[in-house]
Amino acid sequence: MSFAGDIRMNCEEFATAGLHLGSAEVDSHIQKAAREHLRECPHCSVLHENWLALREDLRLLGAETAGAEAPSRVELRLRQEFRTKHKTFRSQRAAVVIGWSLATAASLFFVITWANWRLERGGNITGKLSNVVQTAHSPAGANLAAQNAQSATSEQGEVLAASNGSGEFTLLPDSMPPAPEDATIVRVQMQRAALGALGLAVNEEHAGDWIQVDLLVGDDGLPQAVRLPESSTETTN
Amino acid sequence: MQTDAHEMDDALLKRSAKGDERAFAKLYHRHQGPLFRFALRMTGSYWAAEEIVQDVFMMLVREPKKFDPGRGTLGAFLYGVARNRIMKHLERTPRDFSLDESGDAGRDSHPQLQEQMTPAHWAELSERREQVRAAVLELPPEFREAVVLCELEEMSYEEAASTLDCPVGTIRSRLHRGRALLLAKLEMLREVPKRANAGRG
Repeated sequence: MSFAGDIRMNCEEFATAGLHLGSAEVDSHIQKAAREHLRECPHCSVLHENWLALREDLRLLGAETAGAEAPSRVELRLRQEFRTKHKTFRSQRAAVVIGWSLATAASLFFVITWANWRLERGGNITGKLSNVVQTAHSPAGANLAAQNAQSATSEQGEVLAASNGSGEFTLLPDSMPPAPEDATIVRVQMQRAALGALGLAVNEEHAGDWIQVDLLVGDDGLPQAVRLPESSTETTN
Repeated sequence: MQTDAHEMDDALLKRSAKGDERAFAKLYHRHQGPLFRFALRMTGSYWAAEEIVQDVFMMLVREPKKFDPGRGTLGAFLYGVARNRIMKHLERTPRDFSLDESGDAGRDSHPQLQEQMTPAHWAELSERREQVRAAVLELPPEFREAVVLCELEEMSYEEAASTLDCPVGTIRSRLHRGRALLLAKLEMLREVPKRANAGRG
């Protein structure tokens, strides 16, 4: 609403603007026109007086409760709730931490137990292999030893024993099995000690014995595998 | 200055959410007074105002993340929650006029005034105040809010608009209608001066 210049205000306009009279938000022209109207109109003047009285009453009503605050019991209840909530939260957090710690400890225990079991099992295998190598030259366990020794060479790669009388060739260290069409079997007679030169373990007690050996020779002329025929083992051992 | 206050509120709320009881207490003391008075003046009941303030802060204890600093100040947020509670209360109990439940909140606030008045004056003033109080509580809630904030709390239009999260123009029009309704109600209750009638004639 804007009143330019000396425009006069009627009762209806005053009813709209009069309640905001004195407010900083009301334009100075409107204030001036409203005051002018107040001087001329007794009805609006009474209305304005009533409004001023009401404003004073409202001010007093406001002042009556201006210092009102929530009773202290509200704060006590809220603090109690706050403590309960955060205590519960802390307990939950502690429970979670303990739970995770226990789970971690259980996992560690399981891993360590498993690792120990694996180590023990590995030790047993090594022990068995050394036993196999030792018994490889004894006639009683010769067959079993020869079979085990072959698997042992692949795992250990250090100790080799020719399969005594098993009828199977034993691969020499660092040699690949030759294709059947490229290989030749050569039967030779040699001292048992000569097997050592091929990388096989030799029983020193019988190192000087002469034995008959089948050599599987590849197309490059080098022996790839060795076999001790049964007849020779019986005679030579 | 206001920004500092808002930042302080945010910092206190963060500390409170982490379990700092002193921060929560500080936050409570900063806001409980205006909220309690707003609820009291809107409902006209100390008991209801107490319940409302308690509900508002309980919400803050249980779900502090409901407040989003990006959407406004903590004060406005708390007023918003309080308004919802007030509206629910008003829906449940349409009329509740007795501000006298405390028994002493109003009278003790002006002991000097009481001493200077004669019993007749006191009775008249008391009656008038009671009429005004009843008239305010009879206003529709949206007009009552504007009257409570701008007349009783003496907030500026901008402050009231920010508190109620609405445009200044809305506050102005609600306040105008609220004032007009109050005047009309009080005129009906009081004896209209004879000179007003004479003036009309």
